[in-house]
Order: sequence, then C-alpha cells, then structure tokens
Amino acid sequence: MSGNLQVLLLDDEPIVGRRLKPALAKIGCEVDVFEDPELALAKMAQKEYDVVVTDIRMDQIDGMQVLEFVRERWPRSKVIMITGYAMMSLAREAMEKGAFDFIAKPFKPDDLRRVIAKAAHALGSDIDFEAVEVEKANG
Amino acid sequence: MSLIIVSADDFKQGDEISQKVAGALGYRYLGRDLLHYVATENHVSEDELARALDEAPGLLTRRARRQRLLGLIEAACLNVLLDDNVVCFGLATHMYVRAVSHALKVRIINEPEQRAAALAEAGGLSVDKARKQVLRQTKEERRWSEEVYNLDQTDASLYDMVISLGTLELDKAVEIISDTVGYRKFQPMTYSRKLMQDKALAAGVRLKLMEQFPDIRVEANDGTVVVFIQSLKKDQRKKQELVRQIAGELPGVRHVEVHIIRDLVGQAAQSSR
Repeated sequence: MSGNLQVLLLDDEPIVGRRLKPALAKIGCEVDVFEDPELALAKMAQKEYDVVVTDIRMDQIDGMQVLEFVRERWPRSKVIMITGYAMMSLAREAMEKGAFDFIAKPFKPDDLRRVIAKAAHALGSDIDFEAVEVEKANG
Repeated sequence: MSLIIVSADDFKQGDEISQKVAGALGYRYLGRDLLHYVATENHVSEDELARALDEAPGLLTRRARRQRLLGLIEAACLNVLLDDNVVCFGLATHMYVRAVSHALKVRIINEPEQRAAALAEAGGLSVDKARKQVLRQTKEERRWSEEVYNLDQTDASLYDMVISLGTLELDKAVEIISDTVGYRKFQPMTYSRKLMQDKALAAGVRLKLMEQFPDIRVEANDGTVVVFIQSLKKDQRKKQELVRQIAGELPGVRHVEVHIIRDLVGQAAQSSR
C-alpha cells in the first residue's frame, strides 16, 4: 500500500459522512463518502479501496450485500460494518462473511479511528494514532 | 481470540472437558478456583458461594444474601473475561454472557442412564438409587436457573452447541469445541468487546449498590449507567440522589440515570395503614 489510506464510507444518513470524513482525514485517510449504496457499488466496481466502512440497514441494498461484493471483488480490502441495530446474530453473520470489524452505533469518531488504524496495520501500513491523540490534546 | 463458556449436567465431566480444551488451545482455565479468590477478597465463605451456585433456593433462603453472593461471583468472573482466550466452567457464566458474540456457549449432556451408572460406581450406590439422584439433580439444576435467572439452563437454545457424551467420546468433544471456536463468527470485535466491558461495569455498579438496595437492576453503555430501582413515591428523590452519588464515584462511570419502578406492594401496604 502506498500513499494515504483510501477509505469509502457508506451510510444513508448524511450526518454520518459529514461527521466522520474530517475525523478520518485527521489520521491521513482519503475518504469518499456515499449515501446511496448503488453509487457506492458502482464506484467500488472500478476502484479498490483499502477500507470500506458501511452501514448495514439501508434501503434497496443492505450492508451485507456490500460486504459480499467487496469480499469477492477486492479480497484485500478491509470492510468495517456499522449499525444501529447491533445484535449477536448480525455481528456473527458479518464476521462469518469476512468483515474486518463490527461496530454498534452510536460510537465516537475515535472508536472508528482505532479500528481503521488496526485495519491499516493489517494491510501493512501503520497510522500514528498516538500522534493524533497528542495533537487533539494540544488543541 | 475468543471465550469458551461451558455448562454441563455432570460437573466432573464438564470440568474435565473444559480443562482439556484450555490445555489444547493454550487458553486460561477459569473454574471454581475463582471462588477462593472471591471469598478471600470479600470476606465470605467459599462454601456459601458454592452453595449459591449449586443449590436451588429453599423456603428459608435469604434471597438478598444469595443475590449478593452470585453478584460477587459474576463481577469477578466478568473482570477475568475482559481478557480473551479463557475457558470458563462452573460459574453460571452462560447465564450472563448470552448476547456476547465472541463467547462460544457449549452445553455438555450425558444420557441419564450413563450418569446413573457412573454415579452408582463412584458412590457405591445401587443403580436405582443413582437414577433417582440423577433425576433429582436435573430438577434441582432447572429450578436453580429458573429461580435465579428466570431461564431454564437445560434449554438447548441458550447454547451455540450441545454435545452429548452419550454419542461422542470425551476427547472428541474436546476436539470439536477446540475446532469450533476457531470459526470467524466467534472472534472478538469492537461491538462484542464493548458489550463485555458494559456488562463488567454494570455488574460492578450493581454489586456496590446492592449493599443498600438489594433488589436492583443495572445496565451500562459506554460509561452511562442506568439503574432500575423500586421505590415508594415519597422516597423516590432521596433514593435517586443516593444511587447517583454511590454509582457516580465508581471507576468507569461517567453518567448515572435512575429509573424508578413503582413499589406497588409497598405502596398498598402504606395506604392501608
């Protein structure tokens, strides 16, 4: 992997993308935000992202279908599932289908940043999460 | 890696399988030894802790005392389970980690006839007496879980896997459990780790509050603690303040919400005076 971590963020609630994009940019991610799963899938058909963050419950196409698509098209990509309807069966299904991690909403931007840093590490590229923490503490 | 929570209708077999699984995987084994630690830390008797886990409440059982003893075990157990790679047996853990996805819940069963035969041989009993004892143990076990956790622990739907030693050898059971826990679905994830942290926090808060409020329910979510407590209307404010004060001082607690459940029995008793 070279350059910044390429992240696709898919959530049908616009506030999620608006809130998380700048938070992820702070740890050196280049983030493409989508609210429409079909547009996101069309983009992913052409571009390999390092990390895909997807909501699960969406109209028409759900996050599990997105996960299956990414696992098949880009097996190297790490998929992180986020949901406001977390339960054991769904979490296990996501992991079984190859999700990198599963996070219940609501969560703090730091929670996602930590998981992204773990995904970057698994891809062989470390993010200096501590440096971001220090920068935050210094204002 | 994951957690393995074992429950068995025969203590000795469940214990042996759990220890062998822990050995095979290089996991920590968490069993009844924990009771010694809990007893020492809290100045209670180890025998009393074991009885709270094994015996169904009788007519003379002090419910609040029993709840507190089980609360001590639960809090200590959950603190250990915050780490991964643990095989846990004999601490009723399957009753309070049901929703945790990285905990593989296993029930070991055996044919009543085989249990009776083993019991007869070990205890020098007649097979007929041993049969009756096995039947009594099964009833007791069911009654214990229903009275304490409102669940029947012999219900297969509480577990990810039920293994019958009537069909499989003990070592085969060890092999199956060790293989199954390797499935991706049992791996820890941010969601399940957080759930475990929330459970540990709730158990700790409940334990502290039980010193003053024996009948209490506590839930936790990321440092926010929600306490459900019974109260008469006239005591409501005082109790809420006390709960907030006690719980608010505990490590890991950032915010406390107190929900009052009307004490209808107490209310009726008071209005009839």
